[in-house]
Amino acid sequence: MSVIEPQFRDLNTAATSHRGDRIFNRTITTLAFTALVVLAGITIFLGAQAVPVLQELGPSYLTTTSWDLTVDPPTAGIFGMLYGSVLLAVIGLVIAVPAALLLAVFMVFMAPPKVAKVLTSLVDLMAAIPSVIIGLWAFYVLTGPAVEWQQLLHEYLGWIPIFRNESGNFLGTPFIAGFVLAIMMIPIITSISREVLSHTPPELINASEALGCSMWTMLRYVALPYGRGGIVGGIMLGLGRAMGETIAIFFVLKLVFQVNWYEIIESGGGSVASLIVSKFGEANAGFETQLLLAAGFFLFVLTLIINVIANLIVARTGRLQR
Amino acid sequence: MSTTVFEKDRLPELQAQQRKRPWRKRPPVFTWSVALAVVIPAAIAAVLLFSTSIPDPIVMVVFYMPLQLIAAGVAALVSKGRHGVADSAIYVLAIGGSIFSLVVLISLIGTLFVNGLKAFSTQFLFQNNVYINPTTSLDYGGVGHAILGTLLVVLISMVFAIPIGIATAIYVTEVRGRAVPYVRFFVQAMSGVPSVVAGLFILTVLILSGALSSSALAGGLAYAILMLPTVARTAEEVLRLIPEDLRTGALALGSTRARTVLRVVLPAAKTGIITAIVLGMARVIGETAPLLLVIGYSDSTELNPFSSPISSLPTYIFANVDQPYPNAVTRAWGAALVLIILVGILFVIARILGRGKVK
Repeated sequence: MSVIEPQFRDLNTAATSHRGDRIFNRTITTLAFTALVVLAGITIFLGAQAVPVLQELGPSYLTTTSWDLTVDPPTAGIFGMLYGSVLLAVIGLVIAVPAALLLAVFMVFMAPPKVAKVLTSLVDLMAAIPSVIIGLWAFYVLTGPAVEWQQLLHEYLGWIPIFRNESGNFLGTPFIAGFVLAIMMIPIITSISREVLSHTPPELINASEALGCSMWTMLRYVALPYGRGGIVGGIMLGLGRAMGETIAIFFVLKLVFQVNWYEIIESGGGSVASLIVSKFGEANAGFETQLLLAAGFFLFVLTLIINVIANLIVARTGRLQR
Repeated sequence: MSTTVFEKDRLPELQAQQRKRPWRKRPPVFTWSVALAVVIPAAIAAVLLFSTSIPDPIVMVVFYMPLQLIAAGVAALVSKGRHGVADSAIYVLAIGGSIFSLVVLISLIGTLFVNGLKAFSTQFLFQNNVYINPTTSLDYGGVGHAILGTLLVVLISMVFAIPIGIATAIYVTEVRGRAVPYVRFFVQAMSGVPSVVAGLFILTVLILSGALSSSALAGGLAYAILMLPTVARTAEEVLRLIPEDLRTGALALGSTRARTVLRVVLPAAKTGIITAIVLGMARVIGETAPLLLVIGYSDSTELNPFSSPISSLPTYIFANVDQPYPNAVTRAWGAALVLIILVGILFVIARILGRGKVK
């Protein structure tokens, strides 16, 4: 059976002969490029601040870890901070990904519709809690139990290098900061995974049930492969958020200018974003501010790369699903 | 569905049958085994918790969780056979994972209310912080200046972000120029800009260059960078839902392209657009890092958006959190409660408006 496709004329090009329309089109088009202008502006202005820093300190700004402006020549390096941001994000992901995926699976495939609706609202609420409030809560409520968990980890699993702690100080550790990041990532990853999983075609689910699949087999062979791209994209978006997180980390992480490679329950770690906030208050208007702006520039580049990859993954899955 | 057409008389009966879902019927052994699988591990864990000195986290992780998994597996084996075991594990894990997230959320909201209400009173909402030091009694002073400051900064950011955000959405859905994929890409990339970077950008361009001093205007511009992508993306989703017939109808009646958009499409999407605006406000209202960099700090009520340092709820909380004085910390909790209530109000508005949306 042949279907005659109606030929849609592009209304847009047809109607630009009117003068008011031309002005309208031009205004809207100009405004629509604001996003590009802002991105370019950030790159140019912060980049311009990073150039003199790199000229002064050379690549050591990115490869060493120190912050001492009293000595001559001053030394500054943010490698430990950049690495710390990544380490915290990884700890956050290890906690957040299973929790968020399980929550999403529960909401989509197991919970009764009413419960699922309430949970959706709660996840939205969780996403809306400002990071300064999460920081406040983490500082006064989470650290107590977290120190206890870390002491137990150290006591029973201390022979594993990542659970080593020689100082006996369990405050301000990457583990606590990573846990806080996980709390911020869970709602992001959950809502995107929920969205993706709930778009699994019902005929595929019904077919798998008819073939005698159990819930586990259905998830393993139908739903998760189907939503894989979207879920990975959601995880990357959560990662982007975690890398840029500032205030909550500032409260719970002790910044040290040494690279804390893997000792996640040892006090002290690094994070570019919270470095900027913690040093900004005391920074003089000259070189130190420039150092911080340069740090901001590299943070921007890092998050931009992660976000672009994430959005490409999400966009590609979206197209495949449609 | 075809059966219901042919057997109209039997329709209620068929529907009743369908509602019963005979294939979902559970044998009593299933109910019993599930009940036992829930009760037994919990009972063992409770005994260990209260009668031994094993630390609580150890009881939960080393004893309760494996016990619960084993119990659920056994229950599944008894009632559903071998194939039920993996299912039982995924059920236990999913429920456990959900409870984990819920516990965190409840702890957050609960402590916020418990501690925040200690600071709460009428004067806390209306007075400012001028004669207050960290040890002053909670009977004096409040966050009135910070609430006004936050509202001022958010209003300024709305002035910039809303027209541009909606224009971006109109470009993508109505004007449909050649650059649509690029514009969408840039908006998405912009939504990933860390808030501290937005603050640094405004700081370099406007404050370090001497064009502006620390002020609400600078804060509003930093917020606008964060708000724009949210408004643009939500508005785009909403405009997509407007039926094409409305556009073609308006054009067929002789309306120009611009009028179609301004007089037909936008009014039709009114509630959705307001939802976009509200979500944009909720996105930025608690952001702290950019304000720390660009609005300065003030204890008094300032309403001049152009030249005076100003206070805001997030920066007020930030300034009071790690003070060694309990009263200052209580003030921080109180301000946090005010902030979360503001966010909550915005979300409820968005929910109510979003309810009637065409799906």
